[in-house]
Amino acid sequence: MWNLSLGWIGEPKMKFEDLTPACAQAAQEITRRHFLGHGAGLSIGAAALAQLLARTSLAGDATNDSSAVGLPHFAARAKRVIFLTQSGGPSQIELYDEKPGLREWAGKELPDSVRQGQRLTTMTASQKQLVMPSRARFRRCGDSGATVGEWLPHLAKVADELCFIKSMHTDQINHAPAMTQFLTGNQIPGKPSIGTWVSYGLGSENRNLPDYLVMISKMQRPSDQPLYDHYWGSGFLPSRYQGVKLRNAREPVLYLRDPDGVPRELRRGMLDGLAELNQQHLAETGDPEIATRIRQYEMSYRMQTSVPELIDLSDETDATFQLYGPDSRRPGSYAANCILARRLAERDVRFIQLFHPDWDHHSRLPSWCTARCRDVDQPTAALITDLKQRGLLNDTLVIWGGEFGRGVAGQGQWDTPEAGRDHHPRCFTMWLAGGGVKPGLTYGSTDDFSYNTAENPVHVRDLHATVLHLLGIDHERLTHRFQGLDFKLTGVEPARVVRELFA
Amino acid sequence: MMKRALGILACLLLAAPLAAEDRVRFGRDVLPILSENCFACHGPDESQRKADLRLDTREGTLTVLSLEKPAESELLARVLSTDDEVVMPPPASHKKRLTARQVETLRRWIEAGAPWGKHWAFERPVQVDPPKLAAHPIDAFVRARLAEEGLAPSARALRHTLARRVSFDLTGLPPSTSELDEFLKDDPNRAYGRLVDRLLASEHFGERLAMWWLDAARYSDTDGFQGDATRTNWPWRDWVVGAFNRNLPFDQFTIEQFAGDLLPNATPEQRLATCFHRNHMTNGEGGRDPEESRIDYVIDRVSTTGTLWLGLTLGCCQCHSHKYDPITQRDFYSLTAFFNSIDEDGKAANAAKPYLSYQSPLAARAVQEAQQLVDQRKPREAQARAAAEAPFADWLVARAAEVKDGFRAWHPLVNAELESIEGTQLSQAPDGTVQASGANPRQDDYRLAATVALSRVTGLKLEVLPHESHTGGGLSRGQSGEFILTDIKVQVRRRGSSQIRDLLVASAVADVSTEQKDARSYGDVKGVLDDDPRNGWTTKSHDPKQPHFAVFALAEPLELEADEKLVFELRHRSTDGDANIGRFRVSVTDQAGATVRSIDAPLLEQLAALSPLDVAELLRNSDSSRGATRLREKLFDQFLADHEPYQVEKAALDRATRQLSEVQNGAKKIDVMVLAERAEPRPTHVLMRGAWDKKGEVVPRDVPAAIAAWTTEEPRTREQLARWIVSRDNPLAARVIVNHFWQMLFGTGLVKTTEDFGLQGERPSHPELLDWLAVDFMEHGWDIKRLLKLIVTSETYQQSSSVSAALLARDPENRLLARGSRYRLPSWMLRDAALKSSGLLNPALGGPPVRPYQPDGVWEEMFMGRFKYEPSEGAAQHRRTVYAFWRRAIAPTFLFDSAQRRVCEVRPSRTNTPLQALTLLNDANYLAAARALAGHALQAGTDPATRLTEITRRVVSRPPTPREAVILERELDRALIHYRTHPADARKFLSQTNYQRTEQTQPDAEVAAYTLVASLVLNLDEALNHE
Repeated sequence: MWNLSLGWIGEPKMKFEDLTPACAQAAQEITRRHFLGHGAGLSIGAAALAQLLARTSLAGDATNDSSAVGLPHFAARAKRVIFLTQSGGPSQIELYDEKPGLREWAGKELPDSVRQGQRLTTMTASQKQLVMPSRARFRRCGDSGATVGEWLPHLAKVADELCFIKSMHTDQINHAPAMTQFLTGNQIPGKPSIGTWVSYGLGSENRNLPDYLVMISKMQRPSDQPLYDHYWGSGFLPSRYQGVKLRNAREPVLYLRDPDGVPRELRRGMLDGLAELNQQHLAETGDPEIATRIRQYEMSYRMQTSVPELIDLSDETDATFQLYGPDSRRPGSYAANCILARRLAERDVRFIQLFHPDWDHHSRLPSWCTARCRDVDQPTAALITDLKQRGLLNDTLVIWGGEFGRGVAGQGQWDTPEAGRDHHPRCFTMWLAGGGVKPGLTYGSTDDFSYNTAENPVHVRDLHATVLHLLGIDHERLTHRFQGLDFKLTGVEPARVVRELFA
Repeated sequence: MMKRALGILACLLLAAPLAAEDRVRFGRDVLPILSENCFACHGPDESQRKADLRLDTREGTLTVLSLEKPAESELLARVLSTDDEVVMPPPASHKKRLTARQVETLRRWIEAGAPWGKHWAFERPVQVDPPKLAAHPIDAFVRARLAEEGLAPSARALRHTLARRVSFDLTGLPPSTSELDEFLKDDPNRAYGRLVDRLLASEHFGERLAMWWLDAARYSDTDGFQGDATRTNWPWRDWVVGAFNRNLPFDQFTIEQFAGDLLPNATPEQRLATCFHRNHMTNGEGGRDPEESRIDYVIDRVSTTGTLWLGLTLGCCQCHSHKYDPITQRDFYSLTAFFNSIDEDGKAANAAKPYLSYQSPLAARAVQEAQQLVDQRKPREAQARAAAEAPFADWLVARAAEVKDGFRAWHPLVNAELESIEGTQLSQAPDGTVQASGANPRQDDYRLAATVALSRVTGLKLEVLPHESHTGGGLSRGQSGEFILTDIKVQVRRRGSSQIRDLLVASAVADVSTEQKDARSYGDVKGVLDDDPRNGWTTKSHDPKQPHFAVFALAEPLELEADEKLVFELRHRSTDGDANIGRFRVSVTDQAGATVRSIDAPLLEQLAALSPLDVAELLRNSDSSRGATRLREKLFDQFLADHEPYQVEKAALDRATRQLSEVQNGAKKIDVMVLAERAEPRPTHVLMRGAWDKKGEVVPRDVPAAIAAWTTEEPRTREQLARWIVSRDNPLAARVIVNHFWQMLFGTGLVKTTEDFGLQGERPSHPELLDWLAVDFMEHGWDIKRLLKLIVTSETYQQSSSVSAALLARDPENRLLARGSRYRLPSWMLRDAALKSSGLLNPALGGPPVRPYQPDGVWEEMFMGRFKYEPSEGAAQHRRTVYAFWRRAIAPTFLFDSAQRRVCEVRPSRTNTPLQALTLLNDANYLAAARALAGHALQAGTDPATRLTEITRRVVSRPPTPREAVILERELDRALIHYRTHPADARKFLSQTNYQRTEQTQPDAEVAAYTLVASLVLNLDEALNHE
């Protein structure tokens, strides 16, 4: 009666009674991990089972598939992530990485011993590399004495909460490939984003909202770097794990609003009728996918309430708006999105990603970069403060940074306000906060020119491994079989979990 | 319970090899174990090879085997060891220990003398005679397998289900009710065959196959990457549709796409075919080396060829020799050599040579269609304009009377709240003038908030005024006395509300501005609208002792509530700073048109200034050539700008005119990216670790010997490469393509990993059937229609898809084919089906891309306004999805689970998400279809049963069952009651269904209720599935 040779096409059927105790034990070890890719030898059967499993988890509807399936791999230090993605390449030289010695070098050519053949973009390849010292002054902040540039006065006040990595580096020198690597581990579009990996691996804790939400600051200027949807795409992982973009529009999620003139109760009735009809069809065909579809229509109905409730800030206090700054009253601004990020954290959404564009300051650094700093400084600091006062910072990992840094040489006439800086992949600064990282720590360093990493370099894939680790995921074990290969976020090169950052 | 069942099932899987038949087969049993566990370090990739040991050759493997004493083989000792230092695979590889069964398999294989062999897919396919179990060869193979499993095939599907299934599979469309009736009435013995023939002969056949091919070919109407510029390669898309429709043999189809340009006396269409290998993304990002991009394109062509024709993950070999398949990095770059001498230079946008200048024969129809729409709308616009004369005359009389004693268009904002960010002191005089004093920071933002007495606001005026307290009596307190205004913001703030609202400013004009040297310097007042501090308004070079002004038009007229204030923000954030405005005044107006869009004196002020005589003449509208008449015309324009009935028609005409001009451009000769060889071939290098600028050894044009040797004496060209791919000696192409078609008809291929037939791919479920079909396909001249007919006329294909719980548990993915396949249709097919069943479908073939409905703003928000999406108007809206404009950076939003068209994709993704439910319920494409279905229902009869049957038959090709009819009638009644008691809801709902209203004779409530029920039916699971 247990005549269930599932899937393995090449083999004759097996009976349950035939199983040896060793085999039964092996079966127990079939955890989600296998379905995430380590069941290679199982191919067909594992895939079939994975699909079944996906169905059961959907059927469960709490969609909390993490406890059942072997993940987290170990105790998590953070339950969720807020990734404040600064697109365009913020200048570490003005914002965080103080190099007082550069004043001596002002206008002098960058020594070849420092440059070491670093490739330049074609924008500055033909130009002499003349050193431009920081346009911003620095101060040492808090008990930790971290260095933060004067353009970020509010962040300076919460510096003791932050964990700086000054020795970040990447392989890519142009925006789209660098951002793609920064977010998906590979410069070529089409791999799953880090948020997808996390929500895929850990599942959801909120039954009314997607696991992975993305918000983009509303800017008036057409950005030079579009934010492609593959940055939060699911790649080859199931599309239900892709980031859902919360738009700053009448319709925060595409197609969320029912047409005007279709009131809630009418939609409810229609969905009930639809479910009844589909139920009949399920009985006739026996395809369990129909049961899933019935549930997904229900979820869509719930989202129609939960999303508008999420983005409605009318229940926030004046004190909150004051904390996040005047821009926070403007829907779609980075500041308003920071408030939303906190609301999403309160609702246990797994991965929350903000994008703030336009950090690509090739010219007029003093006016242009300060404008971006003004956008993010107060709201970011407020988010840290707010999460902390609500007890959310402990289990929320906040990440701030962009796809690369900027070079020490001035682009354009270095000694005029016109000058800017070109892209620089060899070192840049990011910071983490909350969720299991050591507050007030400054990790890694760069050389005297903020050109090469000096101590404790951290590659983008090391950061990925570290972030996954904080969430209780072994980056080596969160894999997915696609096109004959086991893919993982950190790719094929060795990646290191930077345990020194952990609290 | 479920978990327990899973555990048991999984256990069966692990146990499976134990029960395998006695003889161990190398290709089936041993190679997968070696490949999965050993090849990463002991496989074809020498850069990763450890201990100089390879286990992908028999010679290498024999060094760790003892054929005399199998049990003493080093291989077995290593996999069995309990010492972490010794055991293989090593713990650091994160691979699991071999199972007892796997070890047993290896042991028995060694005992049998370690026979070696090739991976199945690298052996030429051989046709074996089908078992004598059925007349149809497919049924014979499938039933033999079912018999082994102790399973029986399912009964034939119901006739309507079958008609629907095969229509979707061969044309991507459901049958119309008349097509269905024709089939149902036909002689049952011959009806199905005749239906298949009709479908194969339909021009929609080519469109259906093209959608498959376009996804694989990563076809797009834009470049991708940062610029995402538009390209005009769509004539290639039409070539694909045409090639499938005229049943171009697949080998020829291949050759023309690889090398149409190299064929003797190549026709323009053959050259057009080579656009296939130019469909990759192109990157024009500033700062990128074009050579790096060019190399990316060459590599993309080889990877695409590998995935689509060879079923191999060649992309792996870009950086290193394949870890599993016998393809070396050198093989990979030898293949790139065929594509490395294209006359291209890595540029994008409109510099992506080589091009074919081509005029599409399919564009003229689109021009005609667009012209018809313009012709329809022109008289309506003219009519609306004429109809506006009478109300205008009344308006003019009223205005003339109103302005008799003078008129002021602009009203200063007075009693404003004033603040500055950096500490400038601002104070306002009763006339609204604001003066800066006190601190004079380098940069500052001023904010002014005031109530507005006007009933609406259409624009704002900023006057910048000189003052004696300013430097040199000029316009600012900065060193030069000049000002630079970098940005403005216009917002609305409601008392007690937490949020403020940004208003969109449509235009800015100023009396004077400095001539600008480039886009990023100060001068033009338009610079204040873009939030970019690197440009903005200054009047430097004009007299700083004179006042100046700028006028800003709001995109939409603003009506303020009593508790709302208008906020105007002036930002002075220029690079050098020290140029903050010293004295200014902000005014608002309610006048539309020229008043807010030009610097001319407002028209009503001009009217007020006229002599009574001139006013009288103006009102009489005499033919006099005096200035007053011209003013009348201008006043008429201003009136029209505010006159909604006219604006509706005007906007409709403008959209139609833009559409016409777009398709007219498409009807001219346009540039299509194609292949052409450059005179001087480029040397091809192995690229170390795949890096474009790390050149290794030079390699000649060659093919991987492990697949098939190069046998011809012909020169090594793209043409010969294509001929090698489709040669009888190539073990892969025919199998791979046949598998694609199988996947197209059954949802899953005989080899599930359509993209990977290599060692890491899945083995075929029916290997002999796959080979039989591959050989048959080649022997019958790669005839696609013949192959498809062969498959769909099998009983295997025609089975019912209903499944018992037992069979589902036994074979959840239907790999054994004991039933028909049931799966959700691709989203493009859902849209096309909605169009066809609602009767909206415009069946025209080819031509410039069209734009189906998409929510407002999705392009704009991604590109910050650089690209704007305007849905197609008129009949062009209802074209098939294959013709929909494809923007690579953001695929059409009404599609889900679609290929992304960035790289070659050959296996469909099928998920089931709430977002899909929302799309199908609320997307305008489906609402329009629902509305049209309601129209058909209401025409079909007078009783609800007839009407609901009409909808159901159109959508799911069958009438509702009595049980279903009860539910549908209940839902209809619910909706009718609502809309009869809430007529406003009915109107609102219908106004959003985009239905081009002609004559609607039915009451709104009825139409709205049937529309809602039609939407329900369109969302039935049965409507969404390949049943």
